[in-house]
Order: sequence, then C-alpha cells, then structure tokens
Amino acid sequence: MSADFTARAGAALADPTLKIAIDRTTITARTKRASAIAAWPEFPLARALGRDIKDHVIAHLDHYLLEFEANAIASGARVHWAETAQQACDITVALCRAADARSVTRSKSMLGEEIGLPHALAQAGIERVETDLAEHIIQLAGERPSHIIWPALHKTREQVGELFAREHHGALPLDTAEQMMASARRELREKFLAADVGISGANFLIADTGAVCTVTNEGNAELTTTPPRLHIVTAGIEKLVPSTAHAMSLLRLLVRSATGAELTQYTSFHRGPRRPGDTDGPTEFHIILVDNGRTRMRAEGLAEMLRCLRCGACLNHCVVFRQIGGHAYGGTYPGPMGAVITPILDGLAASHDLPNACTLNGQCQEVCPVAIPLPTLLRGWRDRSWREGLEPASLRGSLALWRFVARRPALYRAATALALPMMRLFARRGWISAMPLAGGWTRHRDLPAPPARGFMAQYAARQKAARR
Amino acid sequence: MTDARAAILARLAGHRTDQATIAAQAAALLDRVGPTRPDRVRGAPDAVFLQRLASPAIGATGERIATLAELPEAVSRYLAAHALPPLVAVQPHPELAGLAWAGIATHADITPDEAVAVGLAHGGIAETASLVFHSGAHSPTLFAFLPMHHIVALHAHSVRPWLEDHIAADPPRNVNLVTGPSGTTDIEGTLVRGAHGPGHLHVVMIGSNNDADPVAATRPA
Ligand code: SF4
Repeated sequence: MSADFTARAGAALADPTLKIAIDRTTITARTKRASAIAAWPEFPLARALGRDIKDHVIAHLDHYLLEFEANAIASGARVHWAETAQQACDITVALCRAADARSVTRSKSMLGEEIGLPHALAQAGIERVETDLAEHIIQLAGERPSHIIWPALHKTREQVGELFAREHHGALPLDTAEQMMASARRELREKFLAADVGISGANFLIADTGAVCTVTNEGNAELTTTPPRLHIVTAGIEKLVPSTAHAMSLLRLLVRSATGAELTQYTSFHRGPRRPGDTDGPTEFHIILVDNGRTRMRAEGLAEMLRCLRCGACLNHCVVFRQIGGHAYGGTYPGPMGAVITPILDGLAASHDLPNACTLNGQCQEVCPVAIPLPTLLRGWRDRSWREGLEPASLRGSLALWRFVARRPALYRAATALALPMMRLFARRGWISAMPLAGGWTRHRDLPAPPARGFMAQYAARQKAARR
Repeated sequence: MTDARAAILARLAGHRTDQATIAAQAAALLDRVGPTRPDRVRGAPDAVFLQRLASPAIGATGERIATLAELPEAVSRYLAAHALPPLVAVQPHPELAGLAWAGIATHADITPDEAVAVGLAHGGIAETASLVFHSGAHSPTLFAFLPMHHIVALHAHSVRPWLEDHIAADPPRNVNLVTGPSGTTDIEGTLVRGAHGPGHLHVVMIGSNNDADPVAATRPA
C-alpha cells in the first residue's frame, strides 16, 4: 500500500466521530434498502432486466448518442461533446461567460464532481451556489463529498448544526435535522431565483425524446434549472437509455437501492428550452456529453462498470467503506465502484491500492441493482497492477517467500507447526489483540487465535483414527 | 467541439448493427417489464392511489370529492384546518379559473415564498402515488416547487396503474412526477419532510373511476 492511502485510511480509522457518522447513515441505508427489496419479490427479474437494458445501450452507444443528439437538437437544446474533464469544464465556463453569468446554482451531480466543475467555476470567478442540502453542507465546510448519494455522510447532525450556526444568517433553532433543513431552505431561497445559470447532471438521457431525466428528493433540481436563463446539463455518455419506458425500469431499481424509497419525490424530464406560452423555464438549454474515460472503460474490459446507476448500495454494504468512509479513497468515487473507476480516471499507478483495499466478500455485487461483477473487476485491476510492477518490493518479496514455502509441503507443514503454537501464546479467550508483526491487522480489530494444529495435521490424525 | 464528437464516436464505432435490429432488441427488453413490476396495484387505480398516498413512505394527504365544483370548498376546509389565511395562488388552468372561489383571494403569479398553491395534475400513477405535471401555459413548472402547501386536484379517470402508463409520445418541455412532499435524507440518512419544495402535499381526487376494469389494472402474469 502506498503511503497516501495508508495514511488517509489510518487517519479515518483513528477518528471516532467519523465512525459514528458513517454508521448512522449506512445502517439506516442498509435497513431501508433491505425492506424495499423484501417488499419487491420481482427484484431478481427486474435486476436482470436492468442489467440487460444497460448492456444493450453500452453495446450500441454510438447509435443511441446520435439518436439522442438529433432529438435534443430538435427540442431546441444545444448539444456539446467533451472528451476530457478539462474540455467539459471549458465548455461550461465559456457558456457562463457568454451569458454574462455572475451566479450559478448547481444541483448535485457526481459527474460535475468528477470533472472538477466546482473548482473550474471558482477559477473563472463565477459564484457557485450548491443547492442540494448535503452539497450545501460541504460547500460551507470547504470539503469534498464522501459518498455518491450522501455527500455529507461523514458529518454527524451535531457537526452540521454547529456549521449552520456559524455560517447561516438566520437565527433559526438548529437542534433537529428538520430545523437544519428549514434554515438551509431560507438561506438558499433567494439565490435560486437570482441565479443566471442552473447546472444539473442527468440520471438518464432519453434517446427517443432527447430529454434529460433528473431525480431529487428536495425539489432543488427544478428550482435550479427552471428560473435561470440558462440550464446546462453535464452528463456522462453512459447515461443513455432507449426510451422513457426503459428509464422507468431503471428508476424502480435505482431508487430502492439508493434510499429504500419507491420513487424519489421529484422525477423530472427536461426537454429543451422554454416554449411559446410557457411562463417559466430557461431560454437556453445546453447538454454537454462527457466521455472522460468511458470509451476507454468500454474498450479495456470494464464495459460492465458502465451499467452503474450511481445508487451507492455497494458503498453502504462494503466492510471497508464502513470503516474508513469515502475521503480515504482519495478519488471522486469511493467504495467498490470507486475502486473500479478511479484507476481509469486517475491512473493505476496513483490508485493501485484501491482494488487491494477489498476483502472480496462479494456483498457489493450481491446488492448491485444492475449486477455489476465488482469483485471480478477489482481482481482484474490487481492482476494488472502486479503485471505492471506497481506493487511494492516488500509485498512481492513476501509473496515470493510464501510461494517458495507453499510449494514444498514438508517445509510448509514444519513452518505452520512452528508458527501456530507461537501465535497461541498471544491469544486471550480465543482472540489475539496484539502480536509482533501483526500490528497492521490488530490495531483496529482482533485476530482469531488459530487451533493448536493446522488442517493437514488434524486431517492426518483423523485418517489415522478412522483406520483404527 | 466537432473534434471531440468525431473522436468519441470513432472510439465507439465497432461492427455496426442495423437500426431495425437495435430497435427490435430495445422492444424485446420492454416486453419483459410486466413481470418485474411490484405487484400491488389491485383494484381501481384511483383507490390504490389514495391508499398509497397516505402511507408513511409518501407522507401526503388525500380526500375525494364528487365534482371539480367542490374544490374551492375543499381548499377552504384545508386552509381552516391548517390555520392559513384565505390567500392562494391558483395554477392558470381554465378548469380552475372557472370555479367560484368565494371567500378566497386568488392570484395566478406564484411568489418565492407562497404559502399555498392550488393546482390541477395532468394525471396520476397508482403504483407510486405520483402526480404527473406537464409544463405549459396552463401549468408553470414552479407551481409544484415554490409553495409550502401544495393542494392538487386530480381527476380520478386520469389515474393509471403503472409508471409506464403516462409516457407521452411527444412530451412537453418539462414532465414532473411528484411523489409526496419534498424531503431530504442528507443528514444521517434519515428522511426529513419539507426541503426546498413543498412541505405539505394534499391531493383532492375528483370523482371516482369505478368503471375502470380492476383486472386490467393488475399486472399481466
Ligand atoms: S456499482 Fe452497482 S451498487 Fe454500486 S453504485 Fe453502481 S449501480 Fe449502485
């Protein structure tokens, strides 16, 4: 493991408040998802359908992009294409400048985070107002999102209360989550209506209508995209679906997997600018289609990852994420899905630790609503990292030693016969809480004490007894 | 940015499948939707709608009146029950404008801090108790988002069973499915009602849809 990841994970593990915050949200999320899925016996069929819809689109992505583009243009939208994060930011900033925009409201979008849009707007001197409650929290705190559904998951309600007491202008009470939301509502109300540009992401791009689908609980997406003169959508090219009906099937999966609800409060389909007779809506509607590594994923054996609906279930169920939270991963996307995507976005050399920070217990794949084989994809990165010589010499050395011993059964048995009794010297009530050379394991958890004799020794003894 | 467009499309171009085959595959996927739906819309869609609307997961309220002419009375009752002043924004829909709003001061322009707005939904979806709004001159988008209390009239005959049943062939600029009052789970994952959108949603069902065939409303096997 490289120093960066180890240091970040170590700092996360040493933070007891962080652990409380992670537990509060992920336990609720797992419980709610479980009951939503239990109330939907058709889930396995729906999941197979969701998987196949996404695979169909990814296989014919060029076809659907062109169909979407033509229909979006016919609705009055302008469509832009960006190969890289930088291009996408440049287009967005240029559109804001051309519109003389002073203030921009933004409705949460992971793609916006991925391409570094907050930073690009700041560099351009354009005021950015985050309207999603969690994004508002982390904007005030000057932090980065730590979860793809709950960006402020790393904060307890007590911490949010303190932050709002410091930063909000109203003098509303801030003891409950309800009161904190009410304070944010008041703080942001006027900003929604005063913005020149509203920027959103897309949950789905509908090829046969050219519409952009967003889902939110708070109603902030519509308040972000309706009043300003410009609505800019930044969307990954994998968000396409053939039609609205296909999107509905994916919505059933996405929402239950994300929050345990059956449908988010607001599911909106935006299609072009204001029309004659409309009394509200933007006068310009721009869609930026962003590649940023997606065509590479498709070409390099990661096509299945492009099914991802960004529901966050794999994060909530990951034993590693639940210990270290999202920031320790160091990229835009944390948890299992992040460990697969980040090496594409940031390069394997900088992120080869992430596919290793996984127990391969398979929980993530089991809960994934589009059945992405996350453990297999993570193993693929491990292979590649090994082949490219990115794993440190100490790891290569110890594995070589293990291999040497393991291929010589007599030596292996002698070594275990020696090691097991030694390990048992450190055990108390069947658990080892500290032992030389095992600090990396025992600092944050105990190691079960091994039996006195190894498997082969016990097996041999049993065979002998049976023969008697 | 034609360069980026060409480059992306070039990287995606593989062996090309003809359009008809792709369309047939997409249609075949939709043929599989029926058995995946949560099998719970049993009975008349409008009755299922009202039932689900009141479930804690959705957190809205509902009532039924016989005809649209009774809507102003229902609104008056709601205002009285919530101790709200008789001042409401009414969606500029001809069906609503024609009503006798006795005792209630109405206006058509919604303000950022509007206390109460009254609207008429394009339709309803029983599966999720969702209201469908289509933007247009008679239905500004912000009506569903600015008020604190949103009272929505819904014709019983416009309620259909499933999410797929209100898909328009040529949709307007904005289609909104509204499911309950706004909320957030952003603080510790727990649902809190009343976010940026309305904090209260009240649906007034107009008439009933007893003629709807309950068998047709259930999921095909
Ligand atoms: S990989 Fe699957 S479970 Fe994880 S966020 Fe994506 S869709 Fe959800």
